[in-house]
Amino acid sequence: MTTGLAQAAIISFLYTLLIFLIAWYAHRRKLKGRSIIGNPYIYTLSIAVYCTSWTFYGSVGKAATTGIDFVMIYLGPSLTAFSWLFLLRRIILIAKENNITSIADFISLRYGKSLWLGALVTMIAIFGIMPYIALQIKAVSTSFHLIAGFKGDEINISHGIHDYKLPIGLLLTLILSIFSVIFGARNLVSSERHEGLVAAVAFESLVKLVSLLGVGTFITYYLFDGFRDIFVKFQHLYPVQFNHLFTFTANPGNGDVTPSFTMLFMSMGAIMLLPRQFHVMVIENSDERHVTTAMWLFPVYLFLINLFVIPIALGGVLTTGSTLGADFFVISIPILTGHNTIAMLAFLGGLSAAAGMVMIEAVAISTMLLNHIFMPVIVRFTPQSWFPLLLINLKRIGIFLVIFLGYFYYRMVGDTYMLVNMGLTSFSAACQFMPAMLGGLYWRRGNCTGAISGILFGFITWFYTLLLPSLIKSGWFSNHLLENGPFGIQMLKPTALFGLTGMDLWSHSLFWSMLFNISSYLICSLVLQQSEKEREQVRKFIGVFELEAHSYPPQEIKRLSKPVTIKQFTALLTKFIGETDARRAIANYLGEQKTNSDGNVSEFELPNLKRFTEKTLAGSVGAAAAGAIVDSYLSDMGSRMESVYDIFSTVRTSLDQSREALYVRLKASEIINRTLDLQIIIDDLLNLLLKEFKLDVALIQLCDENDSLFVMSYQGSNRRPINSQHWFQESKPYCDMVQFDRKVHFVNDARLAGETVELDRTIAEGIVSFAHIPILREGQPSLGIISVYSKTIAGLFTEEFISLLASLAGQLAQAVTIVREIEAKEKERLQKEQALLHNARVLRDMEIAQQIQMSLLPAAPPELFGLEMAGRCISAAHVGGDYYDFFLRDEQTLDLLIADVSGHSVGAALIMAEVRTLLRPQLTTAHSASAILQLLNGQLYDDLTRAELFITMFYGRYNPATGRFSYANAGHNLPLISRAGSPSCIQLDAEGLIIGVKPSVMFEERQIELIKGDVMLLYTDGLTEAAGPEGELFGPLRVCEHLQSVSHLPAKEIIDSLYAAVINYSGSSSFQDDISLVVLKIQ
Amino acid sequence: MRNRLHHKLLRRLQLRESWIIFFIMGIIMMNFPFLHIFNKANIVLGFPIFFLYLFVGWAVSIFVIYLFTLAIGHNEVRQRENRKH
Repeated sequence: MTTGLAQAAIISFLYTLLIFLIAWYAHRRKLKGRSIIGNPYIYTLSIAVYCTSWTFYGSVGKAATTGIDFVMIYLGPSLTAFSWLFLLRRIILIAKENNITSIADFISLRYGKSLWLGALVTMIAIFGIMPYIALQIKAVSTSFHLIAGFKGDEINISHGIHDYKLPIGLLLTLILSIFSVIFGARNLVSSERHEGLVAAVAFESLVKLVSLLGVGTFITYYLFDGFRDIFVKFQHLYPVQFNHLFTFTANPGNGDVTPSFTMLFMSMGAIMLLPRQFHVMVIENSDERHVTTAMWLFPVYLFLINLFVIPIALGGVLTTGSTLGADFFVISIPILTGHNTIAMLAFLGGLSAAAGMVMIEAVAISTMLLNHIFMPVIVRFTPQSWFPLLLINLKRIGIFLVIFLGYFYYRMVGDTYMLVNMGLTSFSAACQFMPAMLGGLYWRRGNCTGAISGILFGFITWFYTLLLPSLIKSGWFSNHLLENGPFGIQMLKPTALFGLTGMDLWSHSLFWSMLFNISSYLICSLVLQQSEKEREQVRKFIGVFELEAHSYPPQEIKRLSKPVTIKQFTALLTKFIGETDARRAIANYLGEQKTNSDGNVSEFELPNLKRFTEKTLAGSVGAAAAGAIVDSYLSDMGSRMESVYDIFSTVRTSLDQSREALYVRLKASEIINRTLDLQIIIDDLLNLLLKEFKLDVALIQLCDENDSLFVMSYQGSNRRPINSQHWFQESKPYCDMVQFDRKVHFVNDARLAGETVELDRTIAEGIVSFAHIPILREGQPSLGIISVYSKTIAGLFTEEFISLLASLAGQLAQAVTIVREIEAKEKERLQKEQALLHNARVLRDMEIAQQIQMSLLPAAPPELFGLEMAGRCISAAHVGGDYYDFFLRDEQTLDLLIADVSGHSVGAALIMAEVRTLLRPQLTTAHSASAILQLLNGQLYDDLTRAELFITMFYGRYNPATGRFSYANAGHNLPLISRAGSPSCIQLDAEGLIIGVKPSVMFEERQIELIKGDVMLLYTDGLTEAAGPEGELFGPLRVCEHLQSVSHLPAKEIIDSLYAAVINYSGSSSFQDDISLVVLKIQ
Repeated sequence: MRNRLHHKLLRRLQLRESWIIFFIMGIIMMNFPFLHIFNKANIVLGFPIFFLYLFVGWAVSIFVIYLFTLAIGHNEVRQRENRKH
């Protein structure tokens, strides 16, 4: 007997060592970056943690006692595998995106990071899994007794006179706990995969499969002669039992399929929802593509492991002759037939099955325990440097707690139940997560209240109808409750709730718990609203898949209200995951981010950094706790800042809300847009500032044209006229600085600043803090200054407040610029209008003058026999200084003159008018031409000198009877006479000075005899001095040539042709100078 | 011909509806009245008929899933090819 014990102990120890080495190796490989578990086969084997010692031993027991319907527990997962491509892959994607650590984390995250929900799911998982772990411990310890050849719970070792009791169950519990701690709680980042643990579990899955196949083959083909042999023999020997096992007829419902359906349903849920299944399938998944292979390979595994269960069960009955101890046929039959090696193989398979399950379950649940029970409490304390140590140890304690809870349940319930029944109790508990889970993944409206109430009601029902009866049956509670119901109310009997009888225990419990669960989930979700946080999660869980755009990570656009530095985030992370990890995580994150000059991320990146911090923390403490930690840390930080600006707490808090700032900005733009009157805008703006920020005095100064400041508006309490004695004058140096460097200058404590700067009167006025903000737009010169003063709050001008004021100043600058531009435009327009008006008036005057001047010239030449005359004046400007005239002195004498007053001004025109006036009286006198010029010179000299003008004039007198033409010339262009037969023109030259040069001048008088055909041309200098395109003057020679060529024409046409010639010559349509022409043609 | 049939079959299996149909079919097969049909204590070919039904049905369902996963692989290969063209 003792040898059996020693052998069993040694092999168990060696096997444990082997598992340990495998786990260690996998862990080392992972550290080196060459993972051995990153393939779909290992993934499938790790999912096979589903097959526990319950499968290993319990299936055989159930097959031998109740029949083939145990297969339903494995058919369910096979069916569920159909949905994995959509369901499991979606869960994995979401979990990876959000660093999910457990099923509690997953469900609570979906429903708005609800702390309560996470805690509830954790509690249910702990209670629900308790029987399951108890089952494993029971299985292993019983099998150990069998293999060692003992009966009973304890193994007594005789050693001298003492008897040592060896509690195998406790020993196993301890070993498993330690193993789980070593490989499952190595560090805090629980979203990190535990490769050592997974490798161990996968290996164990392989061992249990090989073991069961080995035992099966041994029994079926060695002890018996194949499947048929067993079946046929069994039918022969136990026909009643055969009927019972392979049909439903033996059940009370007569062909009832309810139990089998219940098992199918529960196993379909359990394969996804048991914490350990979620852990290996989702958290430990290294690549979601592995799911595709696992989808068919895992059912194959289940198929194989169940293939020999019935032959073993039937063979066991055939061998032992009864179903007693059917749970352990796998071990007992080889022992009975004397094949201890096979028995040992079976024992190792059972041990593997139990150990793998317990370890994964413990790690999964301890993670949940830490993140959803411990963390929400810890978060309330200020983070300390020893937190990482505390947390990891809490997790380790959690592992012990979970395994020992199972152990205690085993001690309590013990042998009352079969293995399968204990397992089904756990399955039923896991199924309570199903509505919240599936609803969360596919139903947008599902909300937190619904999930909590559903799970809670389901759990209570489960506890009352399933767990409680199991405890009662093992004698821990009075049987009275089970038989008569609480307080003797039959309707509330735990096993026949509301009088529902005729159902097996599990169907009954499942029906009621699911009914309460699903209906309260649906009703609460439909009646109540989702919170904003939940809606955000719904988008992450459902929205991204509907759009099929999960490749874009959600960008957080909400701005953080507080400026937080990277350093602060790192400090926070350090407190939870240790400094090295924190630094590495942040550095990795920043590697892809832009930082600004201060080594900080931009304001809009901060929310993403916050999200990253949350996500990283979520990897250790779960999403719900991470959110709470970061938020509480941020608000904590805020309050620390508030202690610096303590007096300002009320205003500051309101400022913190960007909503508040937004409101002020909105108001400001309303004020600015309401009017174009700058005074109103500025007054209103100052009053807004005074009102919203509880300031006391506010001033706005603007620059005038000379860039000197003047006070545009002065608002606030206790106003006094601003003069040289006003306290405001002390702010002038600040204002000058603001104007100079275009930056905000503020003093948060006037008394402190008063020590270095002259601020006595300001302080005396009661001012404690003030700020001067330049009114400017980006890159533009300052247009003025906003000055704000507070009498109550020192430290008022925080960074945010200043930036808000600066942005308001920017808005104002915009307004000032616009108003000023509009004003400037208006002014310019007015000036232009004035100028135009003036011009028009002058023009009109000039036109009148022109008309008058034209009327001064003879309208038509006098008629005189034998003489044809014409005269014309074309001025370059409106008025000119040219003048010509004809006078008929008597019937035989014609006086004619041409004159040119220098310039084309109005003055010249006036002089010309004066000349005309002075000449008129001379007509009656008998003066000669020279005498008249002399007279005119004398009379005009003073006027001309005063006006700085002078006159050239040619005066002639013609007697048609004699043909004599006598003339005098005062410096005028010499008239030309074109005479037939003469090749050149006769120039009428006479000595004489220009009028207005000397007060008294003598003029020479000459005479010439004009003959028939002579054409005399009198002209002003505009004709000969007309310039051609090359600047060459028209010249007397050309005039003469032209005159000769046109002398046969009538006088008027000669004038026209001359004008045409000048226009032709100069190439422009207008004349540069006045041109007057007089033609005298002797007929 | 066989290739085309193969291709067509795999294409149909890519549809989400096909998955759901097989899933629901599986649940129905595991329930009343199908289970009732095989609720007999006969031995067929040396196996209890219920045992035979469940295990053969199971094997078939695994094969169907295997076909599905082939269809996914097929789809991925085709997508890669499409990208190449």
